[in-house]
Amino acid sequence: MARIELENIKKAFGKVQALDGVTFEVKDKEFFVLFGPAGAGKTTILNCIAGIAMPEEGVVKFDGEVMNLTDPAHRNVAMVFENYALYPQMTVYDNMASALRSKLYKTDEAEIKERIQRAAKIMKMENLLERLPSQLSNGQKQRVAMGRALVRTPNVFLMDEPLAHLDAKLRNSMRTELKEMQANLGTTCIYVTHDFMEAMALGDRIAIIKEGKIVQIGTSDEIYYMPCNEFTASLMGDPEINIIEAEISGSADEYTADIRVNGDTVTVPLPKDGAVYEKIDDMGLKRAHLGIRPQNVKYAFEPTDGYFKTTVYSYESIGNKSVIVAECGAYQIRMIAPNGLNVAIDSDVYIRLETDHAIFFDSETKKYIVRYDEATYVALAASEMEE
Amino acid sequence: MKDNKQKALNIVMNILLIIYAVFALFPLLWMILISFKSDTEVFSTTFLFHPTLANYQEVLLRSDYASYIIDSVIVSGGAVLVSIIVGVPAAYALARYQFPRKEDLAFQILSYKFAPEILVVLPLFMIYQKIGLYDSYVGLIWVYQLISLPLLIWVVRGYFEDISVEIEYAAQVDGYSWYQIFFKMLVPLIKPGLVSSALLAFIFAWNSFTFPLILSSNKVYPVTVAIMKYLGTDSAHYGQLAVASTVSALPAVIFALCIQKHLVRGLSFGAVKG
Repeated sequence: MARIELENIKKAFGKVQALDGVTFEVKDKEFFVLFGPAGAGKTTILNCIAGIAMPEEGVVKFDGEVMNLTDPAHRNVAMVFENYALYPQMTVYDNMASALRSKLYKTDEAEIKERIQRAAKIMKMENLLERLPSQLSNGQKQRVAMGRALVRTPNVFLMDEPLAHLDAKLRNSMRTELKEMQANLGTTCIYVTHDFMEAMALGDRIAIIKEGKIVQIGTSDEIYYMPCNEFTASLMGDPEINIIEAEISGSADEYTADIRVNGDTVTVPLPKDGAVYEKIDDMGLKRAHLGIRPQNVKYAFEPTDGYFKTTVYSYESIGNKSVIVAECGAYQIRMIAPNGLNVAIDSDVYIRLETDHAIFFDSETKKYIVRYDEATYVALAASEMEE
Repeated sequence: MKDNKQKALNIVMNILLIIYAVFALFPLLWMILISFKSDTEVFSTTFLFHPTLANYQEVLLRSDYASYIIDSVIVSGGAVLVSIIVGVPAAYALARYQFPRKEDLAFQILSYKFAPEILVVLPLFMIYQKIGLYDSYVGLIWVYQLISLPLLIWVVRGYFEDISVEIEYAAQVDGYSWYQIFFKMLVPLIKPGLVSSALLAFIFAWNSFTFPLILSSNKVYPVTVAIMKYLGTDSAHYGQLAVASTVSALPAVIFALCIQKHLVRGLSFGAVKG
């Protein structure tokens, strides 16, 4: 149970700057998710918090106390490693007991047994306790690694993709368990993932990381509905958000956006919205990137009023729904469709963009400008923060 | 058709192996036979003779043979012990830490094994005489490091490299100090490699001849050199010589048989990387 603060952490491996001035604060009992693509520096951040890696610059604080010179053993953190890092010569039981048997965190054997039983139950692995790690599947190993952390009462749980190797069903149930467990244990948790569903579902707050820098920190809704730039927008959501270049024209009464579709110019309306129109006015916005989520793209297979024509590039199922990808020349538009449609590749498809859900990004800096119903989402994010 | 071919190949292979086994083992067998022969029968080439234990009595009971064996045990055992104490940390450092010219250093260590002993033994002899290491246990144990240390370092290094560094991190986070991690987590994992390479190093040290021949004389008398004593200047007691050789070969044979399984696995497991 602790408040974790990182201030301007810098860490380089040779010439590669793994962390470049990372600053954030994790509140006590918060579930904080670090989310970003592979190689962004997520694991390095955890290592710096655990004390395994020494930052060249910057300060790590637990409850306001500087921890830079404290060795990992004395920081009292529990870490789940991505490659499990189980002790091969010990049974699952001994693996889980290892921290509680160390001189520093000495616990009596009866207590150890009770805690292991409890963790094993949560992780659904009571039957594995006598096995050696070499006799386990990857998913089982991962559960043991989680279990080894859960038996402790640390300052903070550091979890490096702890669900990545589980099968889908187990992953879903564990995700729910994990969230509940963390709330019950009341322990700060820093969780690394590259699965946006996990990030959205688990995180009280999410930090988006790219190339060793924090891009945005916010609640899941904040990040989903008001991504600070196109990078964040494209990370959150599957299928990925459509980013469409648009020329804005019109006057303060009514603006429209011109987009290029297969060499033609298509004009789409920009419905009136106080904040959006104000921004366009203020900035004299002529060009912008419109971010439109796939669920806000409507399609038809017959010519329809207000729809423009493109061709189908692909149609594939992603489980309980499908994705149609439409070819638009320089870019493609993804949209959600039900399963089992009879869609031939290269056939015509007619599209309407629900621009009243659009997010505006600067066409040069790719940064967030404004979005429709901004006030609603600001309020939503604010209410989440209070919880 | 294919089965027949396979079968024929198997037979040929087995015949070749038998030929090799006979070729390799016959001298040993002959040595053992000689050890049971009296001096008069030593040169007979038939397998018929009157077995006698006189040679064994002479060597084991009426000479200093036991003290030679003890010297060998002290020197070889000491050498292996020093190699373990020095080599395991060295192997750990070579496996875990990055430092300038690391690979050069590792190769340098390995290269000690390449040089023929006779090449370095004369300068060593002169140095040893000057600094008083000549004919001492310490001197031999030291020079045996040329034999045992490189082997141990290279095998154990492979084992350390196979242990993912996260295991050490995990143990750190679990509240263990570096020494606890080393002895509780790492040593059990390198044990197969450590045991097999230590044993092999022991056998090599035990069998070493050139170094003790030149670098020791009266006070320290390892068995390999002592065997020559049974070749007198006036007479050669081949029977006693055979006994001395046979008995001196026993420890290595017994050790190797005991851990034969670990030996092959231990040496190939860590060192060979896929």
